[in-house]
Amino acid sequence: MKRVVVDPVTRIEGHLRIEIMVDENTGQIKDAVSCGTMFRGIELIVRDRDPRDVWAFTQRICGVCTSIHAQASLRAVEDALEITIPKNANYIRNIMYGSLQVHDHVVHFYHLHALDWVSPIEALKADPVQTAALQNKLLETYGAVGDLMPDPLGRRAYPKKFPKATPGYFRTFQEKIKKLVESGQLGIFAAHWWDHPDYKLLPPEVHLIAVAHYLNMLDVQRELFIPQVIFGGKNPHPHYIVGGVNCSISMDDMNAPVNAERLAVVEDALYTQAEAVNLFYLIDLLAIGHIYVNKGWTYGGGLSKKRVIGYGDFPDEPYEGIKTGDYHKKILYHSNGVVEDFAQGVDKAKYYPLVGKDFADPDVIQEFVAHSWYKYPDESKGLHPWEGITEPNYTGPKEGTKTHWKYLDEQGKYSWIKSPRWRGKPCEVGPLARYIITYTAVKQGHVKPSWLDEMVVNQIDTVSKVLGLPPHVWLPTTVGRTAARGLEAQIAVAANLYFLKKLYDNIKAGDTAVANMEKWDPSTWPKEAKGIGLTEAPRGALGHWCIIENGKVKNYQCVVPTTWNGGARDPMGGQGAFEECMKDTVVKIPEKPVEVLKGIRSFDPCLACSTHLYNSKGEEILKVKVQGGAPSC
Amino acid sequence: METFWEAFKRHGVSRRDFLKFATAITGLMGLAPSMVPTVVRAMETKPRVPVIWIHGLECTCCSESFIRSATPLASDVVLSMISLEYDDTLSAAAGDAVEEHRKKVMKEYWGNYILAVEGNPPLGEEGMFCIVNGKPFVEHLKESAEGAKAVIAWGSCASWGCVQAARPNPTTAVPVHKVIKDKPIIKVPGCPPIAEVMTGVIMYMVLFDRIPPLDSQGRPKMFYGNRIHDTCYRRAFFNAGQFVERFDDEGAKKGWCLYKVGCRGPTTYNQCGSMRWYNGLSYPIQSGHGCIGCAEDNFWDNGPFYERLTNIPVPKQETNADKVGAVAAAAAVGGAIVHGIATKLRNSGNKED
Repeated sequence: MKRVVVDPVTRIEGHLRIEIMVDENTGQIKDAVSCGTMFRGIELIVRDRDPRDVWAFTQRICGVCTSIHAQASLRAVEDALEITIPKNANYIRNIMYGSLQVHDHVVHFYHLHALDWVSPIEALKADPVQTAALQNKLLETYGAVGDLMPDPLGRRAYPKKFPKATPGYFRTFQEKIKKLVESGQLGIFAAHWWDHPDYKLLPPEVHLIAVAHYLNMLDVQRELFIPQVIFGGKNPHPHYIVGGVNCSISMDDMNAPVNAERLAVVEDALYTQAEAVNLFYLIDLLAIGHIYVNKGWTYGGGLSKKRVIGYGDFPDEPYEGIKTGDYHKKILYHSNGVVEDFAQGVDKAKYYPLVGKDFADPDVIQEFVAHSWYKYPDESKGLHPWEGITEPNYTGPKEGTKTHWKYLDEQGKYSWIKSPRWRGKPCEVGPLARYIITYTAVKQGHVKPSWLDEMVVNQIDTVSKVLGLPPHVWLPTTVGRTAARGLEAQIAVAANLYFLKKLYDNIKAGDTAVANMEKWDPSTWPKEAKGIGLTEAPRGALGHWCIIENGKVKNYQCVVPTTWNGGARDPMGGQGAFEECMKDTVVKIPEKPVEVLKGIRSFDPCLACSTHLYNSKGEEILKVKVQGGAPSC
Repeated sequence: METFWEAFKRHGVSRRDFLKFATAITGLMGLAPSMVPTVVRAMETKPRVPVIWIHGLECTCCSESFIRSATPLASDVVLSMISLEYDDTLSAAAGDAVEEHRKKVMKEYWGNYILAVEGNPPLGEEGMFCIVNGKPFVEHLKESAEGAKAVIAWGSCASWGCVQAARPNPTTAVPVHKVIKDKPIIKVPGCPPIAEVMTGVIMYMVLFDRIPPLDSQGRPKMFYGNRIHDTCYRRAFFNAGQFVERFDDEGAKKGWCLYKVGCRGPTTYNQCGSMRWYNGLSYPIQSGHGCIGCAEDNFWDNGPFYERLTNIPVPKQETNADKVGAVAAAAAVGGAIVHGIATKLRNSGNKED
């Protein structure tokens, strides 16, 4: 048995360490450890602040999925103060959110994940003429995937961004890479295990296309976020206000934050999103995924086979509260729920609904600390976020010293990340989880499907036909996790176009309001109020729980996607999604675990950490020296 | 190492486009047109500078902003201008392989590489709030800085401390200059900094092989010489006394001054008003939200954000901006002095040292 450490895990957000126990004869991973290694304490920092400011603080939990923690915070504060935002604000927030989904998924695929599948070194072996021919063939073979996306505006005359398929184009990329290799300054491509046999799975021409698009999309990704720059003034970290959005609308004033010219800029950007997703991302994804699946790469599913959780998003119209249950009545994306045993087939899977009141129920969502560096009075039990305790209890590694680790102690405490659980059980979150839940909910008839739900089902059925495999075989795998993300990017573009049309129609009808200012003044607030803010971050289900007292934040808790996926094991022995995924993977060369990193990166990990620092009475724990808890998104 | 011009040639860039690019870059860096030949010469002769980019406590918004740069584009920066040899976010390699590579690059280019730091080191719990390769980030930082020619402190985290250092600073997060004291440090604050400010700083350094002229706080003068208020397109409304009184009111729809709903433009040094974000597309004030002062030291503790600054004198109410337009230029001079004093007072009260 060999114990292999990878630290730092690069091409993720934040700091992560993994350790795997590999059987050298079979390549089987017997056990795996996931450890988040950064802690900041945002939840403590927002305490005693003006709740209207908190979105800006929590937004800084993560700059990759920028804006998602702002959205969760706004929703939590608005839920507490019983504020319903205007229609236009709902549409604009949805477009800002959808743009995040598109951008985050594109950048993840090309810039954080692609180099796990393709190699610039292999690309050197490609014939540029054949590569151009292959690009054409791929567009012919998979191009129909773009037809799955409705376009309610229908205003693009022709695609402005289209994959180039000429030999000269690919030759240029090849020459660039060749020079980099020859100069010895490989830069970002340096020192990787390019000799790993997995890089031989694809023909060199696929490598060249993907590497060319890596660079292409590095330059295009900025344009995908233009809607946030128009509505929120900048990106990363655009602006919002509690009660709506800041970008007032006037068709009569050139100085107005939103007028016809500004909307034209947004509309153009949405079509750029559509082209980046339909003509580049999905084509490349299907080309690579198809080959991998055909070659038997159907492992890495791990926890997604057993249990997934989601909260739902894209409110079609403004809702009156989240705890009240109205949010879940208004959403278009019915990924709220828990699904067990999807790997046994969609008919046999078990579906459990999850709506507003469940998030206030102390028994539904809890966090455990038995294997995290915290102390509870009774570590066999979990605590609801509103009652969370974080008392640091750093015990160091199993081998090495406190500040120089060799190996972590998985028998004891080994991570700063807590372990969130649904009714005591671990769940996977993310685009794959959302796809499994929505698909199951629709197929089993638990929800009245929206157009967006139907699009999800249609996408899954279409890809299943292309692959010649049923969803329960290809979806809960590492390839499926990566594929669901790409398909979801298309959902987000469709939603953006849909909400832009709604915004146009509403303005046309004479409504230009973007902010509900009735409860802006703290004197209008109740003495104490509790709120829950839910959203679906690019990386999975995200919840903020807040308590407001006397106009200030009394307690604030975030339970975030990478806590669900990357957290430590629980006292019952349940392991999180990262660890389960690694255990469901086989490595060819133990000291170069490309397969494991591929699995971990398929989650799009995000480790910038937050913390839980209060005891059950909301009192600050004395002399807090150590913070931590949840990684961000 | 190859020069920019060589790299550009390989890239299929014509001499004409290369010269156009050099001219654009000269302007972007705030240099006089007479400097164009110097820039061209530098681009023809300077090799690509190795950059080691490390991450402490942060949210990665600086990296994200960096790749949003339009001029130059991210691919040109990363593959043709610098040689990004180590970066948690973009490096293909991981684990010991990438760590060994960092050490190799440091040795090979000792005294010649640039260290870029995103985020900051926490000093609490012996540095174990941020761990890289099983060791405290602060150790990683000190080791990486040792052979660096200069250090770039990206963003408000590395420059000032930013959000994790806000009250009560639970991890004892400190800016880079508290730990690295024997190297020139270029602070590029902002949460995040504007993309083209980041790439502009890189361009200046690699072209001229020296650090840009810095102000007394260590920020490049060319990008942090003005308050946002000084270059704000809504300044005329401030001078005219036309204010947004409440979000989404008539003034908000007309794009009037946001000072009364908390704008920090009068006390914030940054390029948002002039360069704006996304190559001039917009900036927070243009989207109808006041500046929150994200490029200033300790801005998180200068809230609440929607409370107006009390120490900026407000001009008397006027009904027509045009009427005061003629005198605005003269008034601005006096106003700037008053603002300057106000800013100084604010800053002096906030210094942690």
